[in-house]
Formats: sequence, C-alpha cells, structure tokens
Amino acid sequence: MLVLLKGGRIVDPVHQRDEVGDIWIEESRIVAAPQGRQPDVTYDVSGKIVMAGAIDIHSHIAGGNVNTARLLLPELHRGHSPRSPALPLATGRWSTFETGCTYATMGFTTVVEPAVAPHQALQGHLELADVPILDKGALTILGNDDFLLGLLRDNENQAAITDYVASTLAATNGLGLKVINPGGATAFKYNARSFGLDDVVPFYGVTSRRIIEALQQAIMDLHVPHPLHLHCNNLGLPGNVETALATIEAARGKPLHFAHIQFYAYGSEGDLGFSSGAAELAAAINAHPNVTVDVGQAMFGQTVTISSDVLRQFNGVSTAKPRKSVIFDGDANGGGIVPYLYRETDVVNAIQWACGLELFLLVDDPWRVFFTTDHPNGAPFTTYPNLFALIMSRQARAEAVARQPQDAVALTTLSSIDREYTLNEIAIMTRASPAKLLGLTDRGHLAPGGLADIAVYTPDADIAKMFRAAHLVFKDGEVVVRDGRVTHYRWGKTLKVKPGYDPAIDRRLTGYYEQHYGLSHNMFAVPDHVLPHAEPFQEVACSR
Amino acid sequence: MSEAEVDGKPASIEEATECAAAILSRARLPVIAGLGTDIAGIRGSIALAERLHGAYDHMHSARIFSDLDVLRQFGLMFTTPNEARLRADVLLCVGPDLTRVWPQLFERLAPGELPVFDLAQQKRKIVWIAPEPGLGEIAGVPVVPIEAPDLVTTLGGLRARVAERPVALDDAITQKLDAAADILRKARFGVAVWGGAALDKLSVEMLQGLVLDLNKTTRFTGLALGAESNAAGAVQASGWMTGFPMRTSFGRGYPDHDTWRFDATRLVESGEADAALWVSAYEAETPSWTRHVPLVALVPAEAHFAQPPAVRIDIGRPAVDHDGVDYSREAAAIVARKASHPSNKASVAAVLLRIAQQIGGAL
Repeated sequence: MLVLLKGGRIVDPVHQRDEVGDIWIEESRIVAAPQGRQPDVTYDVSGKIVMAGAIDIHSHIAGGNVNTARLLLPELHRGHSPRSPALPLATGRWSTFETGCTYATMGFTTVVEPAVAPHQALQGHLELADVPILDKGALTILGNDDFLLGLLRDNENQAAITDYVASTLAATNGLGLKVINPGGATAFKYNARSFGLDDVVPFYGVTSRRIIEALQQAIMDLHVPHPLHLHCNNLGLPGNVETALATIEAARGKPLHFAHIQFYAYGSEGDLGFSSGAAELAAAINAHPNVTVDVGQAMFGQTVTISSDVLRQFNGVSTAKPRKSVIFDGDANGGGIVPYLYRETDVVNAIQWACGLELFLLVDDPWRVFFTTDHPNGAPFTTYPNLFALIMSRQARAEAVARQPQDAVALTTLSSIDREYTLNEIAIMTRASPAKLLGLTDRGHLAPGGLADIAVYTPDADIAKMFRAAHLVFKDGEVVVRDGRVTHYRWGKTLKVKPGYDPAIDRRLTGYYEQHYGLSHNMFAVPDHVLPHAEPFQEVACSR
Repeated sequence: MSEAEVDGKPASIEEATECAAAILSRARLPVIAGLGTDIAGIRGSIALAERLHGAYDHMHSARIFSDLDVLRQFGLMFTTPNEARLRADVLLCVGPDLTRVWPQLFERLAPGELPVFDLAQQKRKIVWIAPEPGLGEIAGVPVVPIEAPDLVTTLGGLRARVAERPVALDDAITQKLDAAADILRKARFGVAVWGGAALDKLSVEMLQGLVLDLNKTTRFTGLALGAESNAAGAVQASGWMTGFPMRTSFGRGYPDHDTWRFDATRLVESGEADAALWVSAYEAETPSWTRHVPLVALVPAEAHFAQPPAVRIDIGRPAVDHDGVDYSREAAAIVARKASHPSNKASVAAVLLRIAQQIGGAL
C-alpha cells in the first residue's frame, strides 16, 4: 500500500529539512515520491508538524524492579476507565499495555529499558514483549557482579573482560551495557554506606574508576554502537558535582554516556548545603565532546524511584513517601524501590528541578543531551509534554519559577537563561540523536529507506497539549494513533546487539556457575521461542 | 490428542473448548482459579479473565499475601538463595516447616560450606526460631534453637533485645534471646529465612522490622520461600499485565484488586461467581470450595474430582510435557525450562487460546 502524507511541515534534522513537503510510505518504509503512481491513501497534514517517531533512551518500563514498584504501590495506580475492546488491558494503569499506548500517543515509537540484570533478563524481555506498538531495547547491567570483579582482582587481561561482556550481552539480548554505581552495590553488601569513584570494593581491591575503564574499553573493542551507559557514584548527594566532573575526566576522552546527570549536578552552597552545580557541569560537558548525557529531569508530583543503585536507595529509605520501601540485595546489583514526592515548595526539590532545566539549556549541543526524566525516578514519562513546554518556552519557565521558594531559585542560574529549544532542536534531541547514539540507522529521520515511524502533531500555543496527543502516529508504516487515540495493537521488536567473542568464556562461565551457584549458566538464557510473539528481536549491527 | 470430557463423558478437544467457552461467556462473574500454570498459561488466563469481565486468583494466594501485604504496607528487604549461599555468615531461620516447604533448602544454601564472599571466612551460624524438630545441626553447623509457642511475641522479644530494650519475659527465655541477639548483631551479612504456614502478616512484619533494625549497624536481609505452583510467577505476570497481583477482577472493565472480594473460594462459596475455570498444571490439585458451580477444569490426568466437572481437559505439565517458563525458587528468577519428557499433551496456554478464540480472540 502506498501512503502519502501531504503538505506537512517536515522537521528532519538529519537531512537539514525544515520545510513544507510530502512524505511517501510504502509498507514499512519511507520511499521517494514514486513517478506516475497514485497513493492508495492520502493524509492531508497541511498545517501539521511531521517528525520521525521519538526515541526514549532511558526509561524504566520493564523488569523485576519495575514490577516490584507496581506491587509496592497499588494505591498509586487504581483504575477508572472502562476497557476498550481493541486494546485489552490498556486501562490497567501502569501495566505494560498502558505504557506502550501512552508512549505511542505522544509520538514515541522506540523506548529503551536501561537496567536489566542478567539473571532477570527473561522477565525483562517477557515484560517488554507485552509493551504494545513500540520497538524496545534493554541495557544489560554489569559492574557489581562477582565474575567481573574477580577478573579485575586477578588482573586478567582485557580480552577476557571483553569476551565476558559480549557473552552477557548475547545471553541477555541487550542493546548495550549499563553500569550502576560501579562496585557500590557490592561494597554495600560489605556494609559500606557510601562509595566514590576511587573507593575500593572490599574483597576485590578494585575501584569504581577501574570498573568503568574496563567496561568502557570492552564496549569499544566490541564496536557496540551505544557507549557504556554509566550511572555514577554518589547519586543524589549534596556536592556530588565533583564526582561527576571527576568521572568525566575518568572517561579519558573516550565515549561514555552519563545517565540522568541531573542527579549528580549538586553543589553544597546555601543554608541547606545544597545548591545547583549544573552550570559547572554543563561547561564540562561542553568541553568534552566524547561525553553524552541524558538529563533525568525532576518534575513535581508523586513518583517512585526505581534503581539498581541499592546503596543509594537504602540511604534514601528515610525519605520515602509513602513511607515504605523495598531493598533487594540481588545477585549483583539488586535494587531499591523508594516512593518519593517532589514538592514545588521544597527547597531541595526546587533546586533539583532547576538543575535539570539548566542542563538542558546550558549544554550547547542538542546532539549530546538527551530528553529523559529517568522515568519514573525524576518523574513519570507522562510529564514529558510539560517538560517540552518548559524547555521551549522561557515564559513557561518564568511562571513555574515564580511559584517556587525564592531562596532555592537563587541557588541556581535558571532565571538568567533565555534559551528556548526550537522544534528542530527537539527533533534532534528526541529523534535524530538517540538513533545515532544507539546505532539505529533505520530510524530517527524521514528520508527514503528509513523505517516509517512517524509522528504528526497539531501545532498549538499550548506546547504540552501539542506533544501530549499526536494527530497521527505511524509505526512501521501502519497508523497506530489517530487524533490522540491508539487505534489497535501491533507488536514491535526488541532491538539487540550480537557482538562476536571467543566462546571459551562460555565454558568458563559454565564452570563458574556450577561451582559457585550450583546452577546451570544456561538457566538464565532468554530463548526466543518462549516469548509471546514470533521473531521478537531485531539485531543492531556492531560497527562504527 | 489430549483427553477431554464433557459432563463426565469423553469428548473431543473441540467440543470441550466450545462447551467451556459457552459456560464461561454466559456467566455474570466467572472466576479463573488455581492458576497453577506457567507464564504463558497465566498470561492466557489473565487475558481471558479480562475478556470475560471475570476475576482471577491463585490457589496459594493466602501464603503469598502474608509476604506481599507486608511488602506493600511496611516494605521489605530481601535477597536471593545465591547470595545467601555465597555470602551469609548467619542464617536466622523462622518457622517449623521450612524444609517441608522447600526440601532442598539446605542443599541450596549449603551452610556447611564457608561463605565464599565473606571476608572473615568463618564457619556459619544458624539461629532457628520455632525450629523443626530433630534438626540439632545442619551440615555440621549447630542450630541455636529458640522455641516459640507464640511466634510474633518471640520475634518481638528478639527485636527488642537486639535494640537493647527491656522485655517482660522469663529470664531463661530472655537469656536465650540475648544470646541470639548477640549472634545477629555480630553478623556481617545475615539472612532471615522464612516461609510456611506458621507465619502470618504480623510475624513477617516483625521479622522485617528486626532486619531493618539490624541494618542500622550491619547488613542483614531476608529470604522468603514463597509458595508452589508458580505462585511467584503469577504475582509477577499479573503485576506487569494489570499493575496488581492476583485476586483481581475485571468486573468493572478495568483491573480492580481486592484480596478479600476476589478470593476465588469466597466468590464461589458466596454465589457471587457463577462459573469457574480451574487451572492446575503442576499438581493434581482440585478446588477447595464445596458449593456447586459450573466448572471447567484444566488438570493433569491424575486429578480426581468427586463430581465430574462440566468440562475437563487433561493438560501437560510445564517443563515435563512441554517447554515452560516459570519462577524458579532456586534461582529467584523467572526461567525457561525445557520439557524433560516431551509429549503431545496440550499446554494450558494452548487450551486457553482455543477457548478464547471461541469468544472473539486472544491477546
């Protein structure tokens, strides 16, 4: 079937397009305007904005810790809408089904779950398989596991570490590698209550810095497109901007992605010893082109923090609201689930909110700063429309700032920043650049040959309204959202890499699992055929 | 081909699934109960319940909710058998039936071995509250027993002594508690192991309070043994599919969770549920309710019913007759298992799919 989107404003930064034009779709792909053929279906999108489908690189939408959060907080997601016969379970709030529908409604077509523990990979993929419409990806967690720390302690060569990373990515069907408070979760098992970049993991004698270096090198050696995805030490602590700055230096000019950097952008000025260090951090990011960051914006309201940084989460238990938490000492990282209420009247929360916006606005290059709330840690992804408004409108920011404690505002530079994101910059940050970062050459743009993942928005003075409900969304060339409503389910792929490696490491792992756990290493595999839809995975090439 | 019966008489699988669909779709509130099946079967059950505007429950819900209600009212600290095996220097066992619940418990936790990840590499210690009779030692490790005629009081007393608070108990008991408290406080990575029928919510919460208190100065965590028939898998799949665990109903269209209202046995006994689908693929279990209700049963051939169900379809066992995915207690994760004795017996998911197709399709 040949489909024509006629006369929309096409915003495609990859091809430097921002102009009125047509887009042609045949089957799942965007095609060049065909000579002498009439479209089977024409959508008049004159006056509308046409972008590629949006890509979220860091959103906790699946896996054991997310599910524990669902079970911990039944009172936060009671249902109220009747079922829709076309969309089974989509009115189950916070279900995987609702997650896919809500993302699609906003024009998102690909979302990456950034924290899948190797031993929980099958559950992660079962949950992702039940997220309709979207393509998904999963980042696999290493860095607090005994096998890796043992390799480092024993000074094994980098090749063994690289093979281990490759084998783990393959077994877990990961799209990339995440490291979370490297060594910190393990140190917590030895009763450490804080853990910095150069602290030493008991029993192993290795530092966080060394773990990062080894994993960063492994990802480079394997040519995995997405750089090592790092959750730093000392998340959430006053003065932790020093840790972030030191970690940027520790990247040694090599590619490194810093997740939810807002949470490490804190100085220690002011009466509470808590201030914004975002300007300093943004300057360092600007000066280090090897570094990419996603923001992890905090937005006011009730949420729940879900993190495999079990040390940080344990330390946060006393701040839980409602007052109940789960702390899981898992096989490597584990995790912590701590409900949290960000209050506009709270000085610390207001500074956190401002820090995120400062980072969005002070990092010059929209290709290196990514749009996230670290869902749901800074805020649920349902707040995205409001966040678009805040970065695109200084008036919207001024109105919000006026409501906040002025002693908090004074500890940030936010009021001095005039920048407003353009639509083109939004398209870079949410489409073009995520595709590039993840190595997804088939999406993030609107040129012929690209996947027909397309979002069409109706411009509105109310920016949040425009982004909350797309006029049309196409996934693989098929309409899935019409006038802000999902029309039906389709089942996307989960994107993964499959780097080559020396299988000797698998034999070694088999022995290790037998000896240590008394279990088969194979027990934690993710066989395709047990997932509910046929051909659940799509491979992303490892080459740069 | 699977064996099937309608009203106690042999039937084809087509006739049986057609009849099942008719019974379930004509009910005002059908309940899917038992739910002893693999993840694919649970997924099919929940999708069918949604389509039917029915409710679903698991046969071991009562034991699951004694932990889950504490999780969502108080919070929880827990770990995996792997960590307990490799790291725990102290085990605090609670309940007189741990090895009945999990016969391989101590084989798995291997307390006789030195904990590999422990810095001190010292012999482990075991304290057992409400001990199993006759277990004076486990793999050469002596058990420090604390008899507990009233479990929550004993746990409360121990928690008080760990916090160095006074207790109004006999001196002899207090001395025992003090000795145990000393072991717990000196633990480097202690694990409280609990499970079984003796623990109610109050006991679990008191035990978790003790664990939290111990974490003020050292590391301590918990290990719940859970229940059989993939109960933990049902909690997980239900969680991601609806946001809630089992004992959830779609009577209002959206998932509505209530552990009393949607207890399957109560729904049937009260007459609120007017048809039931019973699923038990792991064990030849049958429903515990006594009231007659039109019943569709997906059970192994060995299952015995006093009255033949309206529809009975024999199904295979996950990981025996067919590949299956379920929650593994030994791995503390959802895992895929290959069929050990592949057969042509149908899986629960396959039968549910046929039923769903009669009434407008499956998820």
